[in-house]
Amino acid sequence: MTFTHKQVLEEVLSLMTELSGDWEYSDEITAETRLLGDLAMDSLDLVILGSELQERYGQLPFSEFLAELGKQEADQRDVTIGELVDLICGQQRATAPGGVV
Amino acid sequence: MAKTILIGLDGATFTVLDPLMAGGVMPFLRDLVAEGVRATLRSVIPPLTPPAWTSLMTGKRPGEHGVFDFFQKETPNSRYFRFTTSHDVQAATIWSMAGECGLRSNVLNFPLMFPPPALNGCLVPGGWMPWRQLRLGCRPAALFDRLKELPSFNPRELSHDMALEEKVLEGCAAEEYLDWIMLHTRRERRWTEIFLYLMREEPADFSAILFDGVDKLQHLCWRFLDPSLAPERPTPWEHEVQSACENYFRELDGLIAEIVSSAGPGATVVFASDHGFGPTSDIFYINTWLERQGRLAWAGDRGARPDATHQVGINQIARHVFEMDWERTTAYGATPSSQGIHIVRPTSDGTVGVPAEAYDRVRDELVEGLMGLRHPETGRPVVAEVWARDDVFAGPFEPWAPDLTVRLEGDAVVSILRSDSVMGRRPEPAGTHRPEGVFLARGPGVHRGASVAELSLLDVAPFVLHSLGMPIPDDLSGRLPLQALEAGSSPRRVVKATGVRTPVAAVMAPEPMGADAALDAEEEQLVLKRLSALGYLE
Repeated sequence: MTFTHKQVLEEVLSLMTELSGDWEYSDEITAETRLLGDLAMDSLDLVILGSELQERYGQLPFSEFLAELGKQEADQRDVTIGELVDLICGQQRATAPGGVV
Repeated sequence: MAKTILIGLDGATFTVLDPLMAGGVMPFLRDLVAEGVRATLRSVIPPLTPPAWTSLMTGKRPGEHGVFDFFQKETPNSRYFRFTTSHDVQAATIWSMAGECGLRSNVLNFPLMFPPPALNGCLVPGGWMPWRQLRLGCRPAALFDRLKELPSFNPRELSHDMALEEKVLEGCAAEEYLDWIMLHTRRERRWTEIFLYLMREEPADFSAILFDGVDKLQHLCWRFLDPSLAPERPTPWEHEVQSACENYFRELDGLIAEIVSSAGPGATVVFASDHGFGPTSDIFYINTWLERQGRLAWAGDRGARPDATHQVGINQIARHVFEMDWERTTAYGATPSSQGIHIVRPTSDGTVGVPAEAYDRVRDELVEGLMGLRHPETGRPVVAEVWARDDVFAGPFEPWAPDLTVRLEGDAVVSILRSDSVMGRRPEPAGTHRPEGVFLARGPGVHRGASVAELSLLDVAPFVLHSLGMPIPDDLSGRLPLQALEAGSSPRRVVKATGVRTPVAAVMAPEPMGADAALDAEEEQLVLKRLSALGYLE
């Protein structure tokens, strides 16, 4: 089965909306929602979320992703749901049999 | 059918427990010890939560099960580390073996249980499982919603909250101590309520719960728990903290009593800690030492970090990757917890790293330098032992382990931060891990009122399997500790040895979803733009 960027985005939004129901977070969750600034996730949350996404979508370069994130100044260090989805889709393109689909 | 309860006491040590039992703070545990057996439990190398609990769960050494630290190398030669997960547990656990024999297990708050492994029973993961995502880790999938119905259920106080947890390693302000201790006191109550709920609603043959507040309190509050460090004339604040710590253990004793009572008189009850504890004052800045040996170069010219006084919290994940100049670094410490040094292997073009023909020489020089290192004030050795990888991590996962692992003399701990000096000192003593943990057991066939010779942490799994009437697989490194059992003790064999002689990974990864996802051209441009904005593409 082939997933499009849109489908991955919808699935990740659905996952984050389900989880945020336990956090008393009432705003709508979109691709622009920031994981740290808006949802108050921390670095460990990102790591565990990465594990969950890899469980669903296969191996991701998540360590490099976090290392690059860690280079940013603390007040600018954040990631949106859309950027996470981009990471997933970018990696899937890179590892697709025969190269770019 | 034989029932077994395993109560994990993270970091518990007799140095702390014995005075509490003798002083009447933990009367239930005192009486239970009198009716059972006790022994010092020798941990693995290094005595650290992830490898140690995994060894307890599997009866195997780290090189055999694949878990060495909180973080795991992406590949044997990678400089990138990722967070260790259940997928790294590459050996059968006592609960996966029990499941294969048709027995049910309830497993609460143990580390490395995310993503959740297949389990015949109920699972709520622990360790560094963030409360915001606890729902994802519970099994069966509907369990989280059932737990939410419990009157006192509060995932934030049940599971991991980084803002609070970091204080265990980074230290906290005096006015925060009491709240922090009380949080852990409440947390143990919340885990016990889930345990008792599952005992009623989901009866299991084997139930396991881990109380990790013992470790947390001992890290931060060691000077209030170690009788030899107790202040002669405590200030009112010191007295309050001391009382709060004592109250934690008093409450814990009550919770243990509830758990053991609910299991019934015929159950086998096993207590184990993953490692022991002792005081720490000195800090060995391992990467600063490597820099002075000409093995490591820092990136940029920022000098010592202002926060280079304590261990690295988990929010510093992957810090070493961007703090070091990889063109000029041939050896580095990646985490303080591993107490390890990694020797950099050459890249594909061979321009950096230690070539294969020089590896033994470089490793020997590092060992010699470490063993010759002296404390600048006392002149005493800093390093007690250095182990080469193949000495302590032999097994199929050896390539993922550090090339060298150190054990420091006395009360020193490792830091990987950049510092102005190789050795530092804490303003107040804290607690840190020691190899000598605790083992206590009571039940059918277990010696009564006996203190027996030291056991290995690896022996706990065979002991549990024996108590459940299960066969002990031949490939375990642990052995059934006969000195803890009455002569001829043999529980009724209730299960057949189906499957348990073949090593099986604890986790079977499902097929990734969306592995063949595709993007159109517009989406591709959006991806590249966003990744570039993040600095991911340069």
